[in-house]
Parts: sequence; C-alpha cells; structure tokens
Amino acid sequence: MVEITIRKRPQTEAVITQRKFFKKTARGKVVKVLRERYLRDDVACGIQGCRECSTEIPEPLPFSGSLEHQLFSNGHYLLPDTNVFLAQMDLIESSLFTPPIILLQTVIEEVRHRSLPLYNRLKALTKSEDKSIWIFYNEYRSETAIVREENEIPNDRNDRGIRVATAWYNTHISLTRPPIRGQKQTPHPTVVLMTEDAANREKAEKSGVTSISVRKYVEGMKDANLLLDLLAADGSQEIEPTKAASGRQALYPDYLPISTLLAGVKAGELHQGHFNANQYNYLEGSVPVPAFDKPVLLVGRENMNRAVQGDIVVVEVFPEKEWKAPADEVVDQEATLKNDDAEDSGEEGDENGEEVFVKESRVLSESSSQKPPSERQPTGRVVGVVKRNWRAYVCHIDSTSLTSTLTTSLSTQTVFATPVSRLLPRIRLRTRQAPILLNQKILVTIDRWDATSRYPEGHFVRALGRVESKEAEQESLLLEFEVPYRPFGKAILDCLPPEGDQWVVPPKGEFDVQNIWRDREDLRDVIVCSIDPPGCQDIDDALHAKLLPNGNIEAGVHIADVSHFVLPDNPMDSEAAARGTTVYLVDNRIDMLPSLLGTNLCSLRPFVERLAFSSIWELTPDAEIVSVRFTKSVIKSKAAFTYEEAQIRKDDPNLQDDLTNSIRLLNSLAIKLKAKRMAAGALNLASPEVKIHLDSAESSDPIDVEQKELRETNSLVEEFMLLANISVAKKIEESFPQTAVLRRHLPPPKTNFEKLQDILRKTKGLSLDVSSSGALAASLDICVDANEPAFNTLVRIMATRCMLSAEYFSSGSVAKNTFGHYGLASKIYTHFTSPIRRYADVLVHRQLSAAIGFTPLHATLHSKSHVERVLDVVNRRHRMAQMAGRASVEFYVGLALKARGEQAKVRGEADVKEEAFVIRTFRNGVGVFVSKLGIEGLVTFKRDTQFDAENYTITVPGAKEDVKISVFDKVIVRIEVEKDKNTQRGKVKMTLVEPVDSSAL
Amino acid sequence: MASTSISKAEKSYIQAGLLANPPRRADGRSLHDFRVISLETGFAPLSNGSAHLSIGRNPHNGSGGTDIMASVKLEVESVEDDASDRGRIVCNVSCSPSAYPHLTSGALDDLQYDLTTVLHQTLSHPSLHPKNLSIIPRKKSWLLNLDLLVTADAGNIYDALFMAARAALWDTKVPRTRSVEYKSPKSLSSASGDMDVDQDTTSGFDTRNVAHATDFELPDYWDEGEILEGRERWPVAITLNLVKTIHFLDATLQEEASCASRLLVVHSYESPTSPTVQSMRMLGSEELSILNLKNLIKEAESYTNDMFSSFTAKLEDEDFRRNQKARERFGKRR
Repeated sequence: MVEITIRKRPQTEAVITQRKFFKKTARGKVVKVLRERYLRDDVACGIQGCRECSTEIPEPLPFSGSLEHQLFSNGHYLLPDTNVFLAQMDLIESSLFTPPIILLQTVIEEVRHRSLPLYNRLKALTKSEDKSIWIFYNEYRSETAIVREENEIPNDRNDRGIRVATAWYNTHISLTRPPIRGQKQTPHPTVVLMTEDAANREKAEKSGVTSISVRKYVEGMKDANLLLDLLAADGSQEIEPTKAASGRQALYPDYLPISTLLAGVKAGELHQGHFNANQYNYLEGSVPVPAFDKPVLLVGRENMNRAVQGDIVVVEVFPEKEWKAPADEVVDQEATLKNDDAEDSGEEGDENGEEVFVKESRVLSESSSQKPPSERQPTGRVVGVVKRNWRAYVCHIDSTSLTSTLTTSLSTQTVFATPVSRLLPRIRLRTRQAPILLNQKILVTIDRWDATSRYPEGHFVRALGRVESKEAEQESLLLEFEVPYRPFGKAILDCLPPEGDQWVVPPKGEFDVQNIWRDREDLRDVIVCSIDPPGCQDIDDALHAKLLPNGNIEAGVHIADVSHFVLPDNPMDSEAAARGTTVYLVDNRIDMLPSLLGTNLCSLRPFVERLAFSSIWELTPDAEIVSVRFTKSVIKSKAAFTYEEAQIRKDDPNLQDDLTNSIRLLNSLAIKLKAKRMAAGALNLASPEVKIHLDSAESSDPIDVEQKELRETNSLVEEFMLLANISVAKKIEESFPQTAVLRRHLPPPKTNFEKLQDILRKTKGLSLDVSSSGALAASLDICVDANEPAFNTLVRIMATRCMLSAEYFSSGSVAKNTFGHYGLASKIYTHFTSPIRRYADVLVHRQLSAAIGFTPLHATLHSKSHVERVLDVVNRRHRMAQMAGRASVEFYVGLALKARGEQAKVRGEADVKEEAFVIRTFRNGVGVFVSKLGIEGLVTFKRDTQFDAENYTITVPGAKEDVKISVFDKVIVRIEVEKDKNTQRGKVKMTLVEPVDSSAL
Repeated sequence: MASTSISKAEKSYIQAGLLANPPRRADGRSLHDFRVISLETGFAPLSNGSAHLSIGRNPHNGSGGTDIMASVKLEVESVEDDASDRGRIVCNVSCSPSAYPHLTSGALDDLQYDLTTVLHQTLSHPSLHPKNLSIIPRKKSWLLNLDLLVTADAGNIYDALFMAARAALWDTKVPRTRSVEYKSPKSLSSASGDMDVDQDTTSGFDTRNVAHATDFELPDYWDEGEILEGRERWPVAITLNLVKTIHFLDATLQEEASCASRLLVVHSYESPTSPTVQSMRMLGSEELSILNLKNLIKEAESYTNDMFSSFTAKLEDEDFRRNQKARERFGKRR
C-alpha cells in the first residue's frame, strides 16, 4: 500500500516559529497578523562554486570576493546593515562602488519598514547589472533564523540576526573550502559587516565578526576621493565631531512626533498640506489646507521650520488676532545672507548669526506693518513634517563660500550650493572637489536639516557640466522637472514592429496575414490633409470635409492609430505610461514613444498609407451635428500643410481644386463652431507664447525672439480637435461610466479673482464678473483700454493665472456634476487627438476602440483604481512638462537677449530697451511683463519708495518731481542679461528707463 | 441542563450507588474526585488569548469527555458613555449542535442563553474588571470578547466553562498602546502680554481633567503585550451535585440526570489564600435550608482551593512550556 504521510508541523514548534504582530489599520482597529515560517537548509549562499549550495545561480558572487580593498587583501564580501542603506544610498548606488554585496532579508525588510522610497531604490539596485548583489534569505535558513528573546526590542533582534548571518557566512566559507592535501591553503575571503551603529560594531567584534564603518571602508577604497563626497552628512557626525557641535543652540523648534501630528490633524487642531515656498521672499511660505479658503501663511524662518518646497507638512494655526498679510517686498536670499559663512553658519551668537538675525527680523517686522485686515490670511507655524519630498537638486557652488580655490587642493571644504530654483534654500555640503566644481552645474541631495543648523545639509551627487553649456543646462532642466529622458531600452524597442521603418499597410486581401484590415474602413480615396506647425514631424491628426448630396457636410478627423502599435501592458506601454507625455524643449524633444512610431509609422505623413482612428460627422451647413460615427480606418493623406501654407491656399481665389475647397469648407464650419462655443461661454484665454528663432539646425544658437502668430487655420484645426474630443468623451463615458478617461477644468474659486478684481477697479475702474465662465468671458471682452490694445491681452493673462489647471480623471472617481470643462464651457471633455505625444489619448483610444466593438477592453482599463493611478502620473508629468518647456524658453530668451545686447553693442547702440507693463507693485520694486518677449521680470530698487498697497501704486522720486507708478502702467525697461556673481546663473536684469531711470534708485 | 433521558430504574440504581457506603460510581471514582482535566493554552494563535479544556477525555484515544474551546479577542472601541470608559467584557457561549444532538435548535438557543447569562454576569462584574482595558480615557477602550464553544458535553459543563474562561483570560495579552496627543501651546497666546485674569489659572477647585489625546499607536508591533491586570482573580467554579444528604463533584451526564438539584458556587481569588464567593446559583427543583447551604459553601470553598492551586500551577506550567521551553528547543535544534 502506498504510504501517505502528512507533514504536519507539531503545534509546539509552531508557537515559536510563527511570527505574530499587530497592525493598526487606518480606521483605528488593531489586527493581529500571523505569519508561518518554514525553515530550510537549502537557502543558497550565492558564492560562485560553493560546494554545498546549488551552483546554478545566474549571477553569483565571485569566488574570492573583492580583492581591491586595501584592508582586506584576502578578498572580502560586504554585508551592510540597514542603517547603511538608510543613510548612504547614494554611495551604494555610485558606479564606483562595486564590492560584492550580501543583502540580508532582514535588512531589506527593515529598509522597507523605515522608508518606502529607499526601499524602491534598493530594489532597483538589486536588479541593476553593474552591481554584484546577492539577496540572502537569512530568516528562512535554519542556521541563521533567530527568535526574538524576551524583552528584546525589534531593533536589537534585527541587529542580532544580521550578526548571526555574518558569522554563519564566515563559517560557511571556511567549511566549504577545506584544505586539500598537497596544496597550499589559500586564505579565505572575509565577510565584513558594514554598519554605522557603533554599538553593533562593538558587539560584532566581541563575537568575532569583522565589522567596519562606512567612512573607514570608503577611505580604504581606490576611488576614495570621489566616493567620500557621496557620503551623506549623517555619517560624518559621529566620527569627526565638528568643532562647536555641542555648543550649538537650536535655531528651530523641534518637530512633534509623527503620531502626535496625526492625532492633531485628526482632531482638527492641526492642518496638513504641501509646503509652497514664496519665490519672491525666501522668508515666507504658504500651505494650502482644506480647512481655510486661503492658504496658511508662514512668516519667518522659525515658523517655516525647515520645510522645503513640496514637503507634506503639518501646521498649527495661530489665533486670529495674530494673522498677517503676505509681505509686499522682494526679499532675496542672496542679498540678505551674502556674508554668511558656510563653515560656522548656524552658530547663533557669533556676530555673523547675530547680523543675519537682525536683518531678517527687520525685514519681517517691516513687512507686517499696516496691512488692511481684509488681506490677512491664516498664519501659523510648521510643527512637523509628514513626508519629505527631497530629491536631487541642480545647484551651483557659491564661489564666495570657498576658502581655497586652488584646483590642486583636495582638502574637504564646507561650501554653499545654491539651487537653481528660487524656491529652495541654500544647501551646505562638504566636498573635496569644490574648486573643480566651481562654474559647473551639479546635482546635490539634501540629507538632513538639524534644528541647530540654519541650512540643510547635503552631499554632492554628480556634475552635469559647465554652466551655460547647452548640454548641462538641458540636462539640468530635465532633472529639475523630473522628466525621464533616458533612451528607450531594448525591452521597449523589442515591442516595435519587426519590419522597422519598412513597415507598410499590407494590401487588402490574402496578403494581410496579421488581419490588419479587419473592420477597418478604407478611406484611402478620401481627400485628407494635415495642417501643423512648420517642421512638425509627429503628425497626429488629419482632416477632410466634403459636401453630401443632401446639402449637409461630412467632416472627418483622422487620428494616428497609436493603440494599434502600443499594446496594453507591454514594456513600451509601461514606459509610455511612466513618461506620460512628450516634452518639448526649444531645441529638443523628449519623446513619449520611440521615434520610429512617433515620427514615422504613426505619423500621418502625406502620400503614404497609414492606420488611423477616424471620427466622422454629418453636419448641417450651420454646423449642427446630425450624426457621428467612429471607425478604425486606413487613410492616405494628400498633403501636409503648415498653418501658413493652408491659409495662403484658402485665401487664393484662383485655386478651386478639391483640396482647397475642402479646407474652405472646414474653415466655414470652424467659424460657426467657434461662434457657438463662445456663445456657450467659452473663455478666450491668453498666455504669453514666444517663438525662438534658431540660427540653424546645427548650432541652435538663438538669434531672436518673437511672439507666436495665430492664423485662421490654427483655429480651424483647434475647433475640429475640440469637436472630436467632445464627441469621443460622450461616447466613452456612455460605454464605460466607471473608468472613462476624461479631462476636466474645475471652475476657479471666486477668491482667486479677488485681487485682480480689486486692481482693475482701483486702477481702471473696470469690473470683472466671475460668476460663470460666460460672464467672465463677456466682462473680459469689455476690459479694453482704447489707447492700449495690449491691455486686454494682459488682463487675459492675469485672469488665466487665477484659474486652476485642467486635469485628467476617471469618470467613476468624481461626481458627475464636476465633469465640466470651465475654460471650454463644455459639459464633458477628453483628449483623443494626440496619442503620439500624450498617454491619456492612448487610453482614450483603447476605450473608444472597445466602445465600438473593435477590440475588447484590456482588464486594467476596467479597474478604477488602476486608471486613477495612471492618470495621477500623467497629470503630474503633464504639469512638469509644461514647466520644463517654459523654463527652456526662458533659458533661450536669456541667450537671445544676450546675443541681441552684444549685437547692439557692436552697432554702437545702447542697450536693449523694451516696452513693458507693470503687473505687480512691491514696497521696493515692480513686477513687469514685456509682452513683446513674453517674459516677466522684476525691477528692484535699493531704496524704499512710497508704497500704497491699497491702490497698488508706488511713488518714486523722478528727475524733477515724484512719479507715481501703478499696476497696468506702461513703462520702458532696459533689459540686460547679467551673470550672477555668486551662482553663475544667467539672470535677466531689468531696470526702469521711463518714466524714471531706476538705475540710481 | 441537558436532560439525558434515563429510566427510573437507572436513576435509582445510580442514586443507590452514590448513597451506599462506601459510595459506588460507575467509573469507580469517590464522591469528591474529578475526572482527568486536560488543558492547553494558546491553541488559537490569532486570538489574544485562548484555551482548550476537556474533562474526562479518554487518555488513550482522546474521545469522550466535556470539551470546550475558549478564546479572547480584543477589539478597539470608541467610548460612547461612561460605562465603557474602562473597557467592556462580553462573554458568549455557543454550543455545537453535535454536542447536544437530542436538542431542537430552539432548545439549543435557550441553553446557550442560560450558559451565557451565568458566565457573563459573573465575569463582567465590576469587582473583577481588569484595569488595563482602557486605551485613551474617554476616547478609546478595548472590548474584550470572550467566546466559548462547547464541542462536547459529558457532564459538569459549568465547572468546565469557568475553567476554560479562566484559562483563556489568564492567557490573554493586551497589546501595549501609547496614547498620542497634541497639546496646543498655551504659552503662545499668553506671550502676547494681555493680563487676562481668568486665563490659564490652575485652581484646586477645578477637578476637571480633560484629556486631549485622540489617538493611540502601537509602540512595538511585535510584542504580544502585557497580561490582563489581576488575572489571578478570575473565578473558579465548583458544582455540588446534591442527592439527599450527600453531595458529589464532577457529575457525568447520567449522574446529573439522577440528582434533583445542584449548587454552583463561584469563588474568586483576590489573594491565593482567601477566596470570596463571587456568585452562586441553585439549579434544580429541591429546597435547601440556610444551615445546609452554609455548610455546603464551606465545603465548596475547600474543593475550590484545591482546584485553584492545581489549576494555577498548570497554567504557569503552560506559560513556561510555550515560552522558555519552546525557545530552548528552538535553540537546541541547530
């Protein structure tokens, strides 16, 4: 008989091998969790050629360890403790740090418990190819598994587990390499425990385990000089205490413990939100919280309490009588803190600190005086940080903070790094390479910010290149806005059609092996054309229109069928989802999809057959929709026009061909569509858009800047895209009410407009009705100044700034009455028309394709939470991409202005002068907008002026008499590009020329 | 109690045996002997405390006997009134239908209700209430659910229930919590320098003690927690089965059926030597004189003392087995 035994664990053993723990749920319940642990004897050690463990490991650790370290000539493996990963992740990630690493399960779990972002980096690290890391599941190997002793705290238990594992490794190595008779015994490599915890090191030494601190280890490496810079500031403290560390006074109040914060937030006594620094005044920040209409204002260093832009902080709001209004002065960090010394800043009591303190408190007390109570907003202080949002920042080394500029000097110096973004504080870092890094853009990570230190402390990550070199500037832009710009990997490129650029639409019939023609409409004979900006390579959309026998018009919008090539859930799709959007910089484009698709296979080029997703309407001559249908199709575009070409063709009465007539037809419809949209209350918004003239494709040196010109044909394309988007939105919302990918624009809160309304009333006597988008559109139309045509645009730009940004969302996640698009005055909207450059459109394509029964919907698009998660990323990327684009324009405007200034000098003219409008007034300056260049600038005066905050005017002493300048006044400014002495940052500097010359002020 | 139907002849045979000198019982025990009691604590690892108890189980094949499983589950509860401020104890007894195959479901419900009432009333009495069931005063407290499941009944169900309850409560560990609170700093407003007299005065007349803590955390999620305060106090019950002038302990089902009344005496132990009567129940139809009752209670106390000391010893032994010994065994395994 067959004997069957059930291998049941005796309960007596289970009691000790079960791992029980409690978990507090979000709803405040306590749950007991039980994990069974089965111990095994075959968890492999991961060393190449080990006699006992299985040898079929893909990437084993080398047999003799690493022989490169000077302290361990017999070879060694590194076994890092948890604190190494928590504090020194940058070091481990460095490509110069290559010893074989044994990563314990205990360590991984502890890292995950302490910090999720670090855990994710660690996980990525274990997968990277240039590291040799072996994960050892020590908790599952019977020799290394340990049980918690009575009264042992978790940390001690884990430390003990790590030591036991290290000891086991060393015995394991010596046991599996017994001496062979007749051969000389070679010494075994050592497994070295690397930990920052001195107590753990001590215990390890006691039990005969070799241990070492990170700093000591790095000092013995061959690239010590480069690697020592990567050491986070954490480690330096215990080894070489800085001189006055003990005598330091706390500059900032301590944070409350995290549990207290959450309790306070729950009880409604504290408020949680994202910290936003004020870019005009480094001593001020704000935190928008749901409890108040206006954001909570934080004034002064102590109240901001070490919060950095983007951190999630918890604030305490002061009683109402202590509320303040935001300051109306420009306070520049560089100016106020110029003399601060990096070595000993933070020591309160020295003259320097005293000086800073006095200066800052002067600034604060002045700014808070006499403000109308209406402008007061909730004021408070930061009592804790829930989540730091620190990453690597692009910085310059502050040259004045260097003590020695000799390039040969390799001594460690403490220097300041000034981030490119004005929203960030200066970062103090210790480096040996300071003189070399001068005049370079570098990446710096913040490690910590102690209560005793005025500035955060960080460490150098890597250099990007010389300041103002295009490569460095571009990379720094991409990094600063977190744009993923790495080239596409092999796994992604493998998802492309194997034919590459030889891919064509197969002929209909038996040669169509892949069945591409299934359910596709043949629109190759339809007269389709595309209209795009000049030089456009990724043509997403094409149009057609023709008269029907019944007098109606058939109009079609044909969008590149990207979802045919980008299939759900493959590497290319995940990458596109992570990138979210194509990023357009002035001289570069960071694609969302590999360029084979973007600029070739999907691009609706003329004269070739391309797959498309078509939306075809029957419209009456008055542009009323009779019917709409969606179909996958094959088209063959007859022409690719630029806006200008299309415009010329349309306006030429001699041309009477089909193509031209269809453009005219489209145009007549577009005009009616637009009129209808405007009547429904759509806004005609404006944002400054400028065009950079590049000298030639190669040098890409900008030579001039001008405002973008808008033609009738721009509007033609836009109207039809809107029409397509709205029709598609209706269709997919109907088919997938829970997960349809839509786009909405929430109406802005009325309070956003308060200031603009006040300014308009006081300076021009105009009123702005913000009760609805239609009312706003109407009142914007009458905001005109007969003498100043640009005034209207200016008001529109300012009104646009008051609005919220549009966002993608999943239809099941929000209430149906919030679907609307405020700016377009449409009840429902989505993005369908640019799948090559926007990921949301790809999702919409998939949903529409399922809605018409062409393909089944992929399971992930049925899951509300998945759609939400993807759209969150896309929204963020979208915002970042816009900011990166804007920053890139700004950089080139700077370069162009510099070039123009030099040309002017050559011609013997004076400097660049432009007309500008005042858009904001400060106590010591004015904010201006140069409409011709589309740039905003700041004119600051060294002296205080008479400032009337109530009426938004300042009075400056002129040549003969005092001159009053108010918001919306037209002034003439001199524009120079000045290289900031300290930071090497190219900075547009503006000074008033008319009505007063402010260079003396 | 579950009426096992036995014939008159059987009944009088059992009674005659008990009254004989020396008394004769079917399993050869003397009047005051217990059957073998077996106990295991912590058998349900997901609960906060548990015990498995059986009386009279056949040691060879594990069959027969009264069999009870008890488990304690702690639940976080928001405090709504003053009563639950110190935490609550709720007992519930359920009987498996297989333990009482002869009962209809209605009768089974009645029985469960009866057992639950006796147990709940005794155990949730304020004099026994453990002090560490409060989490945050006036905000959160633990609700202790004690669930007992009767899987087999071979007589003496009350004693068994109380023993199982005591063992499970003994085994119960309350997770350690730390209340977190946010105190708004009063110094801020007073620093502005106004001379408000009635602000921030600490007066002896002010007896209010307003706690602001609203939430709590688990400082050590691995720790099982601390034992219930006063776990020695939990009562021990003894059922005296009365037949004419004599009484006997630990009746089997047949014996229960043949005696007309029973006296249940529950003692709790504030200190190991001086038990106090926690509760008492007279079950059955016969009368009992005060004098008789007094004697019986005195008798019961001495039985309970025996029971208490051996039971406590066993419980401590169980604790030792599950911690120290298991750990040693784990250590030796390598």
